[in-house]
Amino acid sequence: MTTAPTPAPAAPASTRPPLRRPARGRWVAGVAAGVAEHLGADVRIVRAVFVGAALLGGVGVLAYVFWWVTIPEGTGRAERPAVWSRVAKPLTATPGRRGLRLSDVVVALGLLAVAALLLASRMGEGRTQSWLVPVLLLVAGTLLAWSELDARRGGSSGRVRTLRLVGGAAIAVTGAVLLVTQRADPAVIVQSALAAVAVLCGVGLVLAPWWLRLVRELGDARAERERESERADIAAHLHDSVLQTLALIKARSTEPEVVRLARAQERDLRAWLYDDRAPAATSLAAAIAEVVAVIEDTRTFPDGTAPEIETVVVGDVAPDDLPEDAATALLAATREALLNAVAHGAPPVSLYLEASPRAVEVFVRDHGAGFALDDVPTDRFGVRESILGRLHRRGGEASVTRVPDGGTEVRLYLTPAQHQEET
Amino acid sequence: MSTAPGPGSAPGPDGPVGLALPVTVVLVDDHDMFRTGVRASLDSRVRVVGEAADVPTAVRVVHEARPAVVLLDVHLPGGDGGGGAEVARACADLVRTEPRVRMLALSVSDAAEDVVAVIRAGARGYVTKSISPEALSDAVVRVAGGDAVFSPRLAGFVLDAFGATGAGAQEAVDDHELDRLTAREREVMRLIARGRSYREVAGELFISIKTVETHVSAVLRKLQLSSRHELTRWAAQRRLL
Repeated sequence: MTTAPTPAPAAPASTRPPLRRPARGRWVAGVAAGVAEHLGADVRIVRAVFVGAALLGGVGVLAYVFWWVTIPEGTGRAERPAVWSRVAKPLTATPGRRGLRLSDVVVALGLLAVAALLLASRMGEGRTQSWLVPVLLLVAGTLLAWSELDARRGGSSGRVRTLRLVGGAAIAVTGAVLLVTQRADPAVIVQSALAAVAVLCGVGLVLAPWWLRLVRELGDARAERERESERADIAAHLHDSVLQTLALIKARSTEPEVVRLARAQERDLRAWLYDDRAPAATSLAAAIAEVVAVIEDTRTFPDGTAPEIETVVVGDVAPDDLPEDAATALLAATREALLNAVAHGAPPVSLYLEASPRAVEVFVRDHGAGFALDDVPTDRFGVRESILGRLHRRGGEASVTRVPDGGTEVRLYLTPAQHQEET
Repeated sequence: MSTAPGPGSAPGPDGPVGLALPVTVVLVDDHDMFRTGVRASLDSRVRVVGEAADVPTAVRVVHEARPAVVLLDVHLPGGDGGGGAEVARACADLVRTEPRVRMLALSVSDAAEDVVAVIRAGARGYVTKSISPEALSDAVVRVAGGDAVFSPRLAGFVLDAFGATGAGAQEAVDDHELDRLTAREREVMRLIARGRSYREVAGELFISIKTVETHVSAVLRKLQLSSRHELTRWAAQRRLL
């Protein structure tokens, strides 16, 4: 088994990349490219299918527009979650060629339309003009307004975007009005236009609060995301610079005070970098970490070196889940065991906490000369009272054993009360 | 008589057999000072044959020098931003062919996602930079011999990810064999998490050190190959323990 081949990392589950409209390799809005990437198909086939479907009664166009609206922009390739950016920052992506811009398409369509108009009027087809112009206006205006959907966030200034939206809407409305009211009485046109405006105003008034709230929530969410990614950036940087330096100081310095200071700073920094840990009142693990911190900061080994307590935590429970005062007793006993380890033992000292809703177990181990309870005269209350007695009174167990290879191990064990009541 | 915890026990008669000493090592760390420190602290059983400070250089130097062990920092600049895990993946071809190159991750970070990322990329162990110089040399020799190096903290991660009490394994009976620890493996992991050396674990469980190493290697394999989705979810949730 010693030369067990190190296998390649497990192949990722065959999940499809999410459906996104990529910025690279798009012709119009990237729908075909996105669908192709999602399905793992050749983009040319997807495009052919779209064109074919468009020729079959316009289904392709409808589907394209629908997906354009509903599929978000981005790359299907997994974007690194904020957590991962701590590991290392990805290189800034080089901006890809954006393919055909929508505004270009609009201009081209407009020019084509004008050409068609000229051709039609040259051929004397007066009838065609009556509906062709309004329809073209409608399509152009709609496209212009919808192109806002595709605009990069922050890519164009607010004024341009407003202009695009308002201009598109105006053109489309003109087209619609022309189309609907080709041979109507001007008075009727004005009247119905007023009625339409009134209805729109009413609907707008009713929907305004909902819309405002949506906008505000969106803004909040975006700000939160930005804060999170900024924090991840800072964390990655601190990780690579400050924590490294502190580790170096800890490793090379012979001054106990300097080591202690570096360790305290490192602990603070870690707590800040990972402040998603539960607060002390709701987490036994956090409470234990505090006990460890105090001892690391204030105590020294007999030889004068600053202690470092290797703490390993598996699972966690809320102190409230333990019987009355049991958490306090456990913490006090742990503190006492650590103090003993530092005062009479030798480094390294390690602490292991395993907490589940069924049982809490703490092991404190040092590498000193070793110590067994039987060696201690019965009139000495130190360990008996402060560690064993505390736990026994709360219905727990405690033991002190000598490790064969040197050192002492204290074991504390508690069973949460809730468990007994529930079962 | 070594009393260092976890991987710290010296490879005495029970240590790696047939290992050519000194063990060749490539140091990969973007901090010049730290490389200097590590180089100075490694003892005569280990010889540094190359150094690198970023991902592309590391991949190149490792391919050229073909050391027995690569001491790999988790956070590295360059490449695609994948850090140490990216180096480990890029050197995967060397891991499979003789003479094998083995990775040992060395990091200030004890964040779960870093540990999991680099172990799953193929590293044979994970030690933090607070490790004592002798323990580091021991760990290098141990990894060179094909063993896995589990620090108490890594053992804690494993227990947390796979369920310390075994309750998880009972609930999910249809779990793949890779997705749960055997009772013995769990026992070994608990003892390592409690700060026992491999030798102490062996003594306590009345098994040989070789058997302990077999169990640890099996756990490492599960950590690398398990498709248990809790493993990744857990790594994302618990950023530090």
